[in-house]
Amino acid sequence: MTAMEWVKSRFPVDQQSIILRLQEPVPNHLKRWWWCLGGMPAYLFIIQVITGVILAFYYVPEPSRAYESVARISHEIPLGWWVRSLHKWSANLMIVTVILHTMRVFFTGAFRAPRELNWIFGALLLIITLVFGFTGYSLVYEQLAYWGATVATNLADTVPLVGTYIARFIRGGSEIGPDTLTRFFVFHIGILPTLVLVFLSLHILMVRTHGVTELHFEDEDPKEKQTFRFYPDHILTELMIGVGLLIAISAVAVIWPPELSEKANPLVTPAHIKPEWYFYFTFRWLKIAGLNAAVLTLGLASAIFVFWPFADKALTRVFKRDLTVPLGIVAVLGIFALTIWEAMAH
Amino acid sequence: MSLNAKRIIVGLLSFLFLVTLIIVAWVEGLQERVGFDPLPVLSGDNRPCFTCHQEKTPGIAAQWADGMHAKVGVGCYDCHLAEKGDLDAWHHEGKLISTLVTPKDCGRCHKDISAEFQKSHHAKAGQILGSLDNVLGEIVEGPAAAHAGCQQCHGSKIAFQKDDRGEIKKDKNGKPLLEPTTWPNTGIGRLNHDGSIGTCSACHSRHRFSIEMARRPDNCGKCHLGPDHPQKEIYEESKHGIAFVTADQQGLMKMSEAEWVVGETYNSAPTCATCHVSATKNQPASHNPGARITWTLRPVVSKRQENWEDKKRAMVDVCGNCHAPDWIAGHYTQYDNAVNLYNDKFAKPAKRIMDALKKAKLVTATPFDDKIEWTYFYLWHHEGRRARMGASMMAPDYTQWHGFFEVAERFYQELIPEARELAHNHPQVEAVIAQVLEMEPHRWKKEMSQAELERVRSFYKQRYGQGEGAHPPAGTPPAQTPPPAETPPAAEPAEPTPQPTDHQPAPAKPSEV
Repeated sequence: MTAMEWVKSRFPVDQQSIILRLQEPVPNHLKRWWWCLGGMPAYLFIIQVITGVILAFYYVPEPSRAYESVARISHEIPLGWWVRSLHKWSANLMIVTVILHTMRVFFTGAFRAPRELNWIFGALLLIITLVFGFTGYSLVYEQLAYWGATVATNLADTVPLVGTYIARFIRGGSEIGPDTLTRFFVFHIGILPTLVLVFLSLHILMVRTHGVTELHFEDEDPKEKQTFRFYPDHILTELMIGVGLLIAISAVAVIWPPELSEKANPLVTPAHIKPEWYFYFTFRWLKIAGLNAAVLTLGLASAIFVFWPFADKALTRVFKRDLTVPLGIVAVLGIFALTIWEAMAH
Repeated sequence: MSLNAKRIIVGLLSFLFLVTLIIVAWVEGLQERVGFDPLPVLSGDNRPCFTCHQEKTPGIAAQWADGMHAKVGVGCYDCHLAEKGDLDAWHHEGKLISTLVTPKDCGRCHKDISAEFQKSHHAKAGQILGSLDNVLGEIVEGPAAAHAGCQQCHGSKIAFQKDDRGEIKKDKNGKPLLEPTTWPNTGIGRLNHDGSIGTCSACHSRHRFSIEMARRPDNCGKCHLGPDHPQKEIYEESKHGIAFVTADQQGLMKMSEAEWVVGETYNSAPTCATCHVSATKNQPASHNPGARITWTLRPVVSKRQENWEDKKRAMVDVCGNCHAPDWIAGHYTQYDNAVNLYNDKFAKPAKRIMDALKKAKLVTATPFDDKIEWTYFYLWHHEGRRARMGASMMAPDYTQWHGFFEVAERFYQELIPEARELAHNHPQVEAVIAQVLEMEPHRWKKEMSQAELERVRSFYKQRYGQGEGAHPPAGTPPAQTPPPAETPPAAEPAEPTPQPTDHQPAPAKPSEV
């Protein structure tokens, strides 16, 4: 018995069938670069896992040592600056690509039946990605990150009925304290990655179940075959994008390594608190609408966003026309405007 | 795009990624390792020294390896190298070296610090030849006491063993033999054979040269303690010293940081170094600990330091990290008042009496051969310093019980009676003593007001239910002169006399002179 036969007799996996499954046809529009955004977040997530594990070797989630451990990673550990920089840039890019992917799916109506559940999983993945960004940024324990976390957990506090309990759960107490950082750490390296894996698996399972939404373009030749093979054709495209991304992230990681600003100081409120760029719009909205109104409207908007396929159906029934694109444009422009506004402000 | 084209692009991109990784490695090479604890560096010249001395003197080798010098590659030979013609130079394993490392040697790298230190009061501690302390040590006590005592703090005058022709003696290896009464010595004002003064190792103990050790109060305590200048005990009694113990135990002092700036690196407590040597946000560290001192508290009568206003500003800057301006000003008022009280009430009058006794030849020119000279010495050199130093560093017990109380006792109970005895039948000296006692601060001995006596009596009555506080305590020596007729009578002996305890000050009977 050869070694291969021994393995096969105990683990009956047919290589041919795997390749056959990988060779499933995907629609022709995936040949266009712009339509390959969905794979990029997954790709970046893998980079995040690898760099994150390396960072976790050295990071200490304890208020008195967190900042120092990040300083040590940045200044003492060989290549630590690079790994931290990759982690940061890849995180930002992941948020960008997830948002772009979501927009693509939204504006092409790819969320419609029978893909409603997949939209919900995707929408939850976007929210999880943002929470990932928030908890990761807070772990650095810089002054601005600390106060960003303070503002964010105060937001949770104002949610009606359950807000206080949610805020207490997130903070590990009535105020940001020694347990908060540990909690953020556990969210960041344990709970959120698990959630991503679960929803990502469901997301991909759904894609395999329903297939990729087929899109058609005017310049297409109708006589041409409508599909091409996932493996090796599309895999090679993704590989090209992947390696290109690695080069790009490495380049920005070297050119703009993340700095370490002032250490968190619970006794000194900074003159200007600012979150990371992807929360600018919520922060500006907070300033405009006031705490309670902002929390209510943002909660409502998030719920509509997650359950958009059903909202879309209801709106179409009421208004007798498809409002997805105009509403989407209004939402994107609104978020964009609020983000720019906050970015320009002190 | 064909599959092959894609494969080629992936290959090319992978190669590009490899180039990226090489760039990353190059940038990594440029990174500065901040805070990285490097391994000891042994340069070529130092390797043989270290290898051999790891066997011969393992402690010294290990201490060096633990210290900062090892980390930056400064080894044995870098400090112990000698130049041809140096008095203590000798050939050792192929190198010309010297046993002693003086501030001149340290100054090869630490030029400014060495120069600043050699101009400081610390470095002048060896110049005590004409002082009474030196007479005490060298003559009254004996040379061995001076060598093992005084000079281990003040510093010796480094000397070599000489043969009959006056040449420096050498051992069989050619090593010049140092005079053992002058070496070993780490006294801070050592007079070195190369013309330099002092020694850096007085504070920066070899061979580890720990910066933390130099900042710890224990380090200063090698010399600044004991009956005549108990600065370390005074510090320990003060709130500063108390705060330090806890802050140190809680790891808040950060004394091993390269930059140790009060108000920045640490806030919880000061050590001796904080106030007298180390940096603040507004001034750099100084190797002249006299740079922030306003009074000299050592002589019979305290004097203001030269440029004391500038020096006070430098100290107030240190205080300001933890104290408000009115707090600091209030402390200086209390301190200055205490020094002035000591000066005017006790030191100057005592000096006047001693000068009168000497002028009248009632005391010989030889120091310490008359009893009253010892009394006087205790008064200013021990008790007077304790009172002044206690006030300077906020130690209440040293200011009062170890200080002014003993000054007063020495003055009234010993110096004045002894002077009176010597001045018997010498009207000029007697007149001086009488004039001193006529001074306002001493008038209480002649006459304490009824109101004051009543205040004392009622205090004891109220506090302890006993009204006899104004009585002399048991065992008080009898008055040496009969009380003047006009002295008011003591309290009614209707109640039992309170026995003095630590908590019951027993004012002297107002009729003892």
